[in-house]
Amino acid sequence: MGFLARSVSFVRYHVKGAIETSFWDAVREGVVNGAFRPKEGPGDEIGFGWVSLQDFDDNEFASSSYIYGSYVALSYRLDVVRIPARVIEVHFKREKKKALEQLGRPRLSSSQARDLKESIRESLKAQAFPSIQVVDVVWDTGKSMAYVATQSQRLRERIEDHFKKSFGLTLVPMIPFIRAEQLLRSAQDKEKLAQLKPESWAP
Amino acid sequence: MDFVDILKDKAFVGREFLTWLWFRSDTSGGIVEIPGKRTIELHFLDKMVLDLSGSDSPQTVAITGGQSELREGMAALKEGKKIEEARISIKDAHEDFTVVIKASWLSFSGFRPPATLPMDSTESPEPDALFLEKMYLLERFLDIIDELFSFFLDLRLSDTWAAHELPAIKEWIRREAA
Repeated sequence: MGFLARSVSFVRYHVKGAIETSFWDAVREGVVNGAFRPKEGPGDEIGFGWVSLQDFDDNEFASSSYIYGSYVALSYRLDVVRIPARVIEVHFKREKKKALEQLGRPRLSSSQARDLKESIRESLKAQAFPSIQVVDVVWDTGKSMAYVATQSQRLRERIEDHFKKSFGLTLVPMIPFIRAEQLLRSAQDKEKLAQLKPESWAP
Repeated sequence: MDFVDILKDKAFVGREFLTWLWFRSDTSGGIVEIPGKRTIELHFLDKMVLDLSGSDSPQTVAITGGQSELREGMAALKEGKKIEEARISIKDAHEDFTVVIKASWLSFSGFRPPATLPMDSTESPEPDALFLEKMYLLERFLDIIDELFSFFLDLRLSDTWAAHELPAIKEWIRREAA
């Protein structure tokens, strides 16, 4: 569930780095260049990128803007089609039999078998319904903070990567030690933190 | 030290913070005064996961239920475990939040701010206004978390920790786990 829902799960990030050119022009360019688009080629993913926070079918931000005051609010959409291995196996056996009859050979080479399997996977992908995952990402440009609405580390790593490619900025997860380094003012306290060892408080 | 090492080796910072919060809340009737900032009401609710920091193999204890069930967490503290995850409520003068905090990431799940106008009410607020109100509440909540965390860090890195805070925590565990 995202930031507009009644309840939300999220991880906080520091947005590290600076945009040297005109800020909002660079943001627009990053959003447009990283917008959701279909992906051709092998693999389970058939599309990924930024969509509107309020409409995950809008990758042109026609119905709503991505700018809310000083926030940039987007959703990251990932479409995946996974064809079960057994389904591929069934089709592979049928197609292999046909191919062997046409070739007049007793068996396929390993590269022929691999190519046949891949072509079956690609043809089945076009027939299957994708699984669509949508994760809200809110960037507070005033505080250089961002909030990513998922607990899935795998999805977050994808979003961190896509954010970097889109805007040239790094998302640093605000885990306690890193947040502590930010909150502490004096070099002396930061050094004490670096040297800190776990406390044993079992009586 | 790279990020993965920090996440693993320094996980105890977040776990000690959550465990200390339980101590503070439990020994003050839920009233926690953040020096120079504000006084809040903070309660641990119906869910807690405790873990053994620094252990090669995870040794976790999950507890769900009311306050009497949460007391079982004391036995886990006595064994040296610390809180990895807990559902808490935080109330300040204006707002009331409930959330599950995961200590090693300082991440938040099931975050529920005070009710805002529903989008489908007869006088629907503009989506922009709804979003901005949500973010305002979320950042107010994070301000409180940062204030609590700063309060903990100031104590943890000071001489007061060894002289007063740590003996009080040990005494609390000894007393409550008995």
